[in-house]
Amino acid sequence: MKNPLQLSPKDTINAFLLFFVIHSSQVGVGIHGFQRFVYHDAKHDAWISVLLIGIVSHIIVIFMIKTLEMYDSNDLYGIHQDVFGKWIGNFLNGIYILYCSTAFFAVLRNYMEVINAWVFPNLNPWFLSATLLLIVMYAFLSGLRVIVGIAFFSVVFSFWLYPLLIFPLEFSSSSSFYPILESDIISILKGAQSMTFTIIGFEILNVIYPFVKDKENVKKHVHLGLLATTVIYLAIILVSLAYYSEGELARTIWATLTLFSIVRFPFIERFEFIAINFWMLIIIPNLCLYIWAAYRGTIRLVKISAKKFVWIFSIIIFIFTIVIQTRTQINMINTQFGKVAFYIVFVYPIFLYVVAALKKKLTSQKEQKE
Amino acid sequence: MKKLRYFIIIILLFVSLVGCAETKILERIGVTTLVGYDLGDDEMVDTTAIIRQVSPEFQSRVEIITTKDKTSKGTRIKANLRSSKKIQIGQMRIVLFGDDVAKDGLRYYTETLLENPAVSNSLFMAVVEGRTQPLLEYKYENIEDIGQHIFKLVEQNITNEHLISSTLHEVAHDYDSIGMDMSMPILKRDKEVIAITDVALFKRDKMVGKLSVNDSFYLKLVRNNFQSGMLETVLTKDDLTSSLMKNSPDGIPLVFDTVRTVRDVKLINQKTPEFDLHIKMNARLLEIKSDINTGDPKQIAALEKAIKKNLTREISRVIAYCQEVDSDVFGFGEVYRSSVRNSNLTHEKWHEMYKEMKVNVKIDFTIIRNGIFE
Repeated sequence: MKNPLQLSPKDTINAFLLFFVIHSSQVGVGIHGFQRFVYHDAKHDAWISVLLIGIVSHIIVIFMIKTLEMYDSNDLYGIHQDVFGKWIGNFLNGIYILYCSTAFFAVLRNYMEVINAWVFPNLNPWFLSATLLLIVMYAFLSGLRVIVGIAFFSVVFSFWLYPLLIFPLEFSSSSSFYPILESDIISILKGAQSMTFTIIGFEILNVIYPFVKDKENVKKHVHLGLLATTVIYLAIILVSLAYYSEGELARTIWATLTLFSIVRFPFIERFEFIAINFWMLIIIPNLCLYIWAAYRGTIRLVKISAKKFVWIFSIIIFIFTIVIQTRTQINMINTQFGKVAFYIVFVYPIFLYVVAALKKKLTSQKEQKE
Repeated sequence: MKKLRYFIIIILLFVSLVGCAETKILERIGVTTLVGYDLGDDEMVDTTAIIRQVSPEFQSRVEIITTKDKTSKGTRIKANLRSSKKIQIGQMRIVLFGDDVAKDGLRYYTETLLENPAVSNSLFMAVVEGRTQPLLEYKYENIEDIGQHIFKLVEQNITNEHLISSTLHEVAHDYDSIGMDMSMPILKRDKEVIAITDVALFKRDKMVGKLSVNDSFYLKLVRNNFQSGMLETVLTKDDLTSSLMKNSPDGIPLVFDTVRTVRDVKLINQKTPEFDLHIKMNARLLEIKSDINTGDPKQIAALEKAIKKNLTREISRVIAYCQEVDSDVFGFGEVYRSSVRNSNLTHEKWHEMYKEMKVNVKIDFTIIRNGIFE
């Protein structure tokens, strides 16, 4: 096997932290308003779509881990170079870097849009993107262990948000779920596919895998992380379906945030403003992990220091966040990115597994002959 | 260390700048608590806004501004031109519609409210008999802040379950739901008093009829489970057995409040459509004007039977009225949609069926207790 990563023990992380890494990289901006897209396809059976894509993500992760296990300590970029050779491998690496960068951009731009639309309509977008990018740069330059630490705190500190979903239940009716399975199977699958943008993030495993100290525990914690995400998404879609009426759900842009707007405490009347601003904590690990994944790939292609990379990367992203201004453009990017991401995250790992397994078989046969 | 210091300085700079993004200082803004819409001439909207202004020196002042324009936001621009303080709507608690607006359709108003992130979803909506402007501009002797007063009036009655809740969320929910129509309280000024007199019934976004406040109890009973509504009814000759009628020839007025109700609607025939409405109700007898001995189990049983009969009749009457004006405030359409597979229900389709709908009302009524004196 070529290019295994040489890592010193102080760079590695414990496997149980993967739970937080996987979970926090999945939950991001998609959760704000995935309901209307799923509902658009699957109608009131949308929850089945969410459940389905959750199960599919578990299956995909099984393939991912199997592929990674073939190479003791190597990430996706190294596997590409080994399986497809230098040229094709590096081309695929380039695509993957581009994918991570686009994911980074999509998360950042969507969050900025929420802030602009909901809290500060007159705030300049460049200001928001600059502040967020500075924080991300700071975290990124401190290395992987800090990023993982952020992911850990992000999950722990934001967990209290979910029990608040009890508040909208007061206005809910269970009749919205019936009749179950009225939509045909194609629309339910379509609904599941439109969840892509929301559920992706676990592919970060491809890059972080070699950094895990106790690899035998990887499976357990990754699946637990996925399970936590699926349960949360399922809870949100169930509450949304019961809370909103048909037409209302189809037209609410950020249904989850609107759910929070019914939450009222004696000391705070408009809770969604807290939730939206608090969401930054949930976004940060997302951004950090994607920029880190992009960096891991870039150093395979060109020699570049982390500092240089992060500045170039941030400036490019910064320019894009300013150029892309309107809601229509953002929505277009989301849908196009979701479509591409579906193939990269849900289809490609299976393909890669098959190719890698074939190659392994061939090389071992060759060795036997010799 | 040097690098760290750079970052800290830059981040501190940004943090200090965030505070300056948009300031809304209480002394410099006018807080809108209530807005009333009327139809003006030439498709214009007359907006009356109750604006509360807080100043550090004096007591807070309530100002009423009426403006006229083509859109509701346009009226806000004009209102700003007349106000020394920037008008903000984040604290808006209730929106009133003149009944001409309600009859014309509320769709456009609810949509602009929903679109605006500053507007809370728990805002109440109500209809005013006649125009809102005279109701709001009248100089009441005992009401200082009319915006707050009307809000409290509606809120109190809704939380005590006398009326169907009409928050912005629920109105939007029912408007966009195929098998359910919305309902709002109707306010009316009677000299110095503002009172809730009726309940408005809507078909989609247009007001098509109204029920008296007393009837709205039945409405609530059919629409959802509830806990604390209070009802006064008169048991007439038809309901009562002769033994109970002895000393009260004109009927027995009585008041009870419900401790708990459980409603269950089932579709039993898809064609007609026909529904079985089953309401289980536990009540507390509060007042009765007759010689009935409430300690006697036999008489209580007879009374329960009489009330059951009375409720069944009244509920059937209310349902028949709503069918007549073609407003499905009960949500029978939602039951139909959720129990018929591939119904592809639309508003038009449902309202056609709704007129022909049959409902079999069945009531279980139990008096659990009366007061502390028999």
